[in-house]
Amino acid sequence: MSAASGPEIDVADYRDVWVFVEQHDGEAAPVSWELLAKGRELADETGESLVALVVGDGVAHLAEEAVARGADRALLADDPVFEPYRADPYGEQFRALVEARKPSIVLIGGTHTGRDFAGRVAVPAHAGLTADCTELAVDEAGLLLASRPTFGGSAMATIKCPAHRPQMATVRAGVFDAGEPAEAAENAAEAVESVDVVVAEEDTLSTVLERVVGGVVDITDADVIVAGGAGCEGDVTPLVELAEALGGEVAATRAAVEEGWVEPARQVGQTGKTVRPHLYIAAGISGAVQHLEGMNGSDVVVAVNTDPNAPIFEHADYGIVGDLHEVLPALTAMVREKREVAA
Amino acid sequence: MNDGWNIVVCVKQVPDADDVTIDPDTGTLNRSDAPAVLNKPDHNAVESALALRDAVGGTVTAITMGPPPASAVLQAAVAAGADGGVLLTDRAFGGSDTWPTSLALARAAEELDADVVICGEESTDSSTGQVPPGIAAHNGWAQLTYTESLDPRPDEGVLVGTRDVEGGYERVAAALPVVVAMVFGANDPRPAGLHRKIFAETEFEPVQWTAADLDIEDRVGLANSPTKVGGMDTASPVERERTRVDSVEALYDHLAEVL
Ligand SMILES: Cc1cc2nc3c(=O)[nH]c(=O)nc-3n(C[C@H](O)[C@H](O)[C@H](O)COP(=O)(O)OP(=O)(O)OC[C@H]3O[C@@H](n4cnc5c(N)ncnc54)[C@H](O)[C@@H]3O)c2cc1C
Ligand SMILES: Cc1cc2nc3c(=O)[nH]c(=O)nc-3n(C[C@H](O)[C@H](O)[C@H](O)COP(=O)(O)OP(=O)(O)OC[C@H]3O[C@@H](n4cnc5c(N)ncnc54)[C@H](O)[C@@H]3O)c2cc1C
Repeated sequence: MSAASGPEIDVADYRDVWVFVEQHDGEAAPVSWELLAKGRELADETGESLVALVVGDGVAHLAEEAVARGADRALLADDPVFEPYRADPYGEQFRALVEARKPSIVLIGGTHTGRDFAGRVAVPAHAGLTADCTELAVDEAGLLLASRPTFGGSAMATIKCPAHRPQMATVRAGVFDAGEPAEAAENAAEAVESVDVVVAEEDTLSTVLERVVGGVVDITDADVIVAGGAGCEGDVTPLVELAEALGGEVAATRAAVEEGWVEPARQVGQTGKTVRPHLYIAAGISGAVQHLEGMNGSDVVVAVNTDPNAPIFEHADYGIVGDLHEVLPALTAMVREKREVAA
Repeated sequence: MNDGWNIVVCVKQVPDADDVTIDPDTGTLNRSDAPAVLNKPDHNAVESALALRDAVGGTVTAITMGPPPASAVLQAAVAAGADGGVLLTDRAFGGSDTWPTSLALARAAEELDADVVICGEESTDSSTGQVPPGIAAHNGWAQLTYTESLDPRPDEGVLVGTRDVEGGYERVAAALPVVVAMVFGANDPRPAGLHRKIFAETEFEPVQWTAADLDIEDRVGLANSPTKVGGMDTASPVERERTRVDSVEALYDHLAEVL
């Protein structure tokens, strides 16, 4: 099954920037549009086309939206075998497309689905795959420079893929701006090409028995975030109320998510979201490197912690030693009060 | 498959993440000579492998790719209850990115006639999470990444996994052989039993395989790794005020300035 290492490929045969448009139930994951906007920049720089790859069942509207959002073309693989997402049919379809069309760069969202897909499809292509990038650029030779935070965000490793194609990268959600689709995209349908579906249901290796998914919140655009950690001790009401008073969103550490106090889509950090709000309030959060990585880009950081030696204080602009169950409600009351006075 | 499943668990040796902190002044890493340990998420993988063996019978074999001292993580897995361990060690493996790393593990799993391969979610040192789907892809096997729990159906030759997906979860039935990556923290790893521990430390010897044993000597290492680390920059440390306030009023005043 696995691809041989040789023979050497001619990298000059590979062209264009592809973006995998992750979708679930016909709705695009926000990161897909972020990557399309970034992919547009890269394609303009290399003088190549930007191609959206849309896979699913009844998802032609997403292919058209991709064109409205700047893709030169969209490849559409539309078939019931692709809904819901499964690694092996998606992977086989992707392998066939790469073999036939030879993209130079492929960008994929760093979500669970995106990473499941990317890890699978990079192997048969013998592609280089850089994980969890937060910066993308191309050098003079048109080579992708994919940078990712390493060692807990203290260093950036820039990874290149000189002799293999495609050059693939998964990219963290929330890092790039999505932009808006163009109003008039009347000719969008013409830029959509339906491709041959190369997988059949009887060849698949897995069956999705049940899917239980609700609406997914997106905290990455919030201006104000009130985040809680293990120090919440099961009660996140103080976070919710302060976030409400400040017009922001609630977020959490992985510890608080694992406890089930806060939904996974609100996790900030290395295995969660990257956020850059104007104000980030970290309450009952110790400041582990995996958490800091996701919020270090915030403009102003406030820490509330009972432990005066908690590392989070070193990474905060304003720190207060105290119980979050007292500090946050008091702060909420003050915010509400001043607002009423102002009104 | 009445005699149970061949369960293979992949364990990686990494610098101890708990000893690694960021110096807020320089933005550099304090590793304080971090000792090498078993990758934290792999404790969950080992526990899942043992629980699966409890449920369906069979054997658990731990495998690791790394230099000879990495056999310490095999020892840890055996102490926890694994039946045996295989060390994939060879100079030829040096500099491997996730493509050859997953190839070596995939070939070893094939040699061991694995029904189920269980990995951790990601490593704490380079954290790509690409190795588990890579193993599955090399062998053309099913994959279950981001798995919270496992429900084996030996009569059907199927492993059902509950996967964490955006906004919820899904239950997926995968045909054997299958590669699983367990969510970090998905279970409570059992403590090592005293007898097992003594056995692991005194009697256990890992089987050792080279790249040639796996017939992949021309397909691993730096030369066969598509990705090259082109450069490392220290991220510029984020400047923070680090002002301590002693009252909520004072905190509010600072916030009023920024909001
Ligand atoms: C592979 C991997 C990936 C990871 N990814 C992430 C990630 O994406 N995001 C993430 O956040 N973590 C992640 N982690 C986990 C990370 O290492 C830490 O374990 C986690 O961030 C700790 O969460 P915490 O700060 O809520 O809990 P703790 O470290 O337990 O800290 C709780 C803090 O609350 C304080 N406290 C207690 N009671 C109160 C109170 N009443 N009022 C105020 N303060 C109080 C305590 O003093 C303490 O500082 C990952 C770990 C691994 C191994
Ligand atoms: C700074 C830096 C950045 C890097 N970035 C990339 C990159 O973007 N892309 C890339 O392809 N390579 C990259 N590498 C190389 C990569 O770290 C190695 O290939 C590594 O050995 C495997 O990747 P991982 O630790 O990320 O595994 P992950 O995929 O995160 O590990 C998941 C699970 O797979 C199993 N596993 C992984 N490695 C082993 C092993 N050696 N033995 C047994 N089980 C194992 C464990 O169960 C583990 O929990 C990077 C290396 C460095 C130093």
